Amino acid sequence: MLEARLEQAMLLKKVVDAIKDLVQDCNFDCNDSGIALQAMDNSHVALVSMMFKADAFSPYRCDRNIALGVNLVSLTKVLRAAQNDDVLTLKAEDAPDSLNLLLESIEADRISEYDLKLMDIDQEHLGIPETEYAATIQMPSAEFKRICTDLMAMSESVTIEANKDGIKFAANGDIGNGSVTLRSHSNVDKPAQNVDIELTEPVTLTFSLKYLVNFCKAQPLSERVRISLSSEVPLLVEYLLSNDKNSGHLRFYLAPKIGDEE
Amino acid sequence: MEDSPMADDANIELETPASDVFLPPSVHRETLYTGESYTHFSPVPDSLKPAAGSELGEPCCLGVDEAGRGPVLGPMVYGVFYLPIPLSDPLLKTTHHFDDSKVLTPAVRSALMETLCTPGTVLNQSCGWAVSNLSARDIGANMLRPTAIYNLNAQAMDATIALIEGVLSRGVNVQEIYVDTIGQPAAYQKKLERVFPTVKITVAKKADSLYPCVSAASVCAKVTRDAALEVLYEARDPARREQQQQAGDGVDEEQKPEGMSWGSGYPSDARCVNWLKQNMHPLFGWGPECRFSWGTAKDMLESKGGVKVEWPLEEDEGTSRVTDFFVEGKREKDSDELGTWFGTPAGLEAF
Repeated sequence: MLEARLEQAMLLKKVVDAIKDLVQDCNFDCNDSGIALQAMDNSHVALVSMMFKADAFSPYRCDRNIALGVNLVSLTKVLRAAQNDDVLTLKAEDAPDSLNLLLESIEADRISEYDLKLMDIDQEHLGIPETEYAATIQMPSAEFKRICTDLMAMSESVTIEANKDGIKFAANGDIGNGSVTLRSHSNVDKPAQNVDIELTEPVTLTFSLKYLVNFCKAQPLSERVRISLSSEVPLLVEYLLSNDKNSGHLRFYLAPKIGDEE
Repeated sequence: MEDSPMADDANIELETPASDVFLPPSVHRETLYTGESYTHFSPVPDSLKPAAGSELGEPCCLGVDEAGRGPVLGPMVYGVFYLPIPLSDPLLKTTHHFDDSKVLTPAVRSALMETLCTPGTVLNQSCGWAVSNLSARDIGANMLRPTAIYNLNAQAMDATIALIEGVLSRGVNVQEIYVDTIGQPAAYQKKLERVFPTVKITVAKKADSLYPCVSAASVCAKVTRDAALEVLYEARDPARREQQQQAGDGVDEEQKPEGMSWGSGYPSDARCVNWLKQNMHPLFGWGPECRFSWGTAKDMLESKGGVKVEWPLEEDEGTSRVTDFFVEGKREKDSDELGTWFGTPAGLEAF
């Protein structure tokens, strides 16, 4: 039996909106520590990993491991009914064939209830090793989104170069080339605007911008984004589900392009 | 889509080519079979060439018109026609009664074209013409490009400019250009004026009935298109080709070939739609005679009997996959929690 009450229904809506263009069907794996999701896009270039920790819910109850096979397009349709201040409760039996979603508006004294049919999804799970990344950048998520969409106008791919001078996003395309360079800086009044770069060794990698722009759909989730790079491993783009670290995260991994121009 | 069924039912009669249409020299049979676009220029009449000692020949006016914009079958043909300015009215209008090709019957059009192409006639001696044959295959390919779509208007404009440039480069002293409009006359006129700054340009709606040289250009274009359509049809129907040949050899003069079963080639013509239906290859559709970008053809191929082609996701070359880095993890959590309390199942091989 699963019962999970999420104060902000919008949080789940934002997560689903962020990944529904990358993944169509996937399992929400529920256990006593929370609700997790891992899925790859069709071409296996990108991987999404979501974790809603039990602390994100109040209360949270999950007696046995349950896999909820959900079509994300259908889930989006249901979540479209969620209003800004709605409270969402997810309920499922132990061997469920449907997921019950309860949307409560305290203010309006309204309760909406939906049952979403589930499906059996045979999914491969990848083990993601703990990685010490060569470079980690924490920056405003809106800024990252702007860089990606701006460079998308120039080229299909972006080369991210992190060295002691800062971090450079460079795109080389048919019409010309462009780049954006960021340096570490802190804004005392608005810490959310900080750019923090941690670097242990210089690294240069090239990625498909199409995917990065796709990842940026998670931007409404969080003011900040963390980008981690190491040579020869996928790029990690992480958004926290709320400012509280214990709520969970939405992570995107993107395989680098091979045959660097360098 | 640019599907503009201009021919209403009443027009279909006029649009359907005459079966014994005159085969003008602008029909390049072999090129038509390959589905490629081409241009044909008539020789410049001696009277229009610069006289010895002078730089410029006689001042000419030039008309531009198009034929076969709407049909789903066959090429779109652009025609230009030029002759000395003073001859324009008396020769074309009064003597030969050139008019908009849509007003003239196929037989009259064909006869006019034949006169134009017969050496020794006044028409042949004082007028020159050229056509640009935009093949159905190229029209479709340009309109269906995945990026930077090259639409019909842009293709038409470029064909027109290329034709006029071709005429100018042959030494004809073109002073005035009259064009039947595609789209907004003002914008099109501006664009042409930029390309040909020294020429007086008039772009107008219904120019083909206002200016005799445009009427003549429309006849050149229309007759070329009709003949090209006929040639393409023969390619699809070998029996008919033989028949035609026999008739040509004079074996059986009595036997008139039947009309083409695809009618006018317009999407509004039931014969055309029927022909498309009956002659569709489930995978490849049709040959180079068909404009695949037309709604009629596209819908038929995609939803009515065509096989659905699944295009595998193009491998993004040079991109590695996450599976190259992360290995499939053994998910022990997947197994039933309680089940494993008492040890794992022995499996069949134990017995």
